[in-house]
Amino acid sequence: PRCSGPERNASLCILVDSREISSGSEIISCLKAEHGVKVQVCSLGGCDYIVSTRMAVERRTQSELLNSLNRTKVIQRIQQLQSMFERICVIVEKDRVKAGETSRLLQRTKYYDGLLAAFIRAGIRILFSSCQEESASLLKDLAMVEQRKNVAIQVPTEVRGAKEAALRFYLSIPNISHLAALHMCHGFESVKKMANSSPRAIATCARVSLQKAEEIYRYLHSGFDLQVLPEKRPA
Amino acid sequence: MTAKEITPVKAGAVSVPYGHVIGNEKWRGSQIAQGLQGKIKVILEDGLGLVDFHLSNRSCILYISEADLVAGNGFKRRLVRFRNASSLHGIVLVEKTQISDQYFPAVQKFIVLELGMTLLPVANQEEASQLIIQLVHEQSKDQTSNPFLRKKCSQLLEPSILRTVQQIPGVGKTKALLLLQQFVSIHQLCNASVQDLELVVGQAIAQQIHAFLSQTK
Repeated sequence: PRCSGPERNASLCILVDSREISSGSEIISCLKAEHGVKVQVCSLGGCDYIVSTRMAVERRTQSELLNSLNRTKVIQRIQQLQSMFERICVIVEKDRVKAGETSRLLQRTKYYDGLLAAFIRAGIRILFSSCQEESASLLKDLAMVEQRKNVAIQVPTEVRGAKEAALRFYLSIPNISHLAALHMCHGFESVKKMANSSPRAIATCARVSLQKAEEIYRYLHSGFDLQVLPEKRPA
Repeated sequence: MTAKEITPVKAGAVSVPYGHVIGNEKWRGSQIAQGLQGKIKVILEDGLGLVDFHLSNRSCILYISEADLVAGNGFKRRLVRFRNASSLHGIVLVEKTQISDQYFPAVQKFIVLELGMTLLPVANQEEASQLIIQLVHEQSKDQTSNPFLRKKCSQLLEPSILRTVQQIPGVGKTKALLLLQQFVSIHQLCNASVQDLELVVGQAIAQQIHAFLSQTK
């Protein structure tokens, strides 16, 4: 599934979580060098890759999904993604064989099959990869499919100066993706403008669903009650 | 293939009782059928057309063997015909073996990215039967038992609101609390004038907050 030259995907952009620098370095270099995708590494806070305005991709090794000890961790992570994104794709990547180590034959478990069944029923897409190179290729393919559906990432991914503070402000809104915050940052003239916008205007500007925009709207208008704050009041 | 191809999917699909799977007659005596026996109720029927197993009245399984993969593109035609003829959710099980491994990436791209169907690799029919059992269990379970379909309980917003206000340059926790006591919501805080803000925080900070909130590009 090799790609036919970097130039072709010059317009594709994928956001990568900074933690992938250590665990998926080959993916990042492959996306850049082989597929010519614009890769923006940033702290995505609980999300491995963002390939479009609506889709997040979670990369998991097969051994992690075979072992039910990771159940809570995996479930929490996916639920978190579900609270931020309309579409989720899980890439199940074959474990790396370290030099000098013979490939362990991983036993397929009932738990693993059950997890796959739960993903499918919830509409979570699953892709299987044999190595990081192949994962990179799948990410590029996903981004291309999303581009055809007009939901590609087109917003400038770098934020400087005063806008940085605004980005941090938008990122603190619950269940908002890094990309939605970026869109708000570039789309709204000021934080005040954003706070005075209708749900529909928020949806258009942040490129989120109307439902998500309504959630943001409610948050901005929600009254603060000091009494229910779980922490102690400052002296 | 013969007359069966005229009806790619059995008319009206099939209503599958809970915990059952309806399989194509051609699987009688197969390893899959044997693997399912005793675990879930299997009904084998003729005339299912392109479908190998019906899991429920919404989803079904199409099985692609190692031999199908090696033989060429026949299986692609079958999948496309299924997609055009049916609105059922098609789950494609593909035998991924040492021999068929090389074809897998292209097959996955075709099935998942081009057709938008679901694909699950299995090493052999035995694994396939184990997987089908789990798929049937999942279908017959209550929706709330699936952690990815569960409605999340609404969280308290106060801690988040406090955190958001603290993102305003110059505002720490103490000032954030003071501001929120005065202006109640982020929306109101954003619309506060410098004079309003000065009543809560110092003049310099009030100007800083106002500048941040109304800063244009």
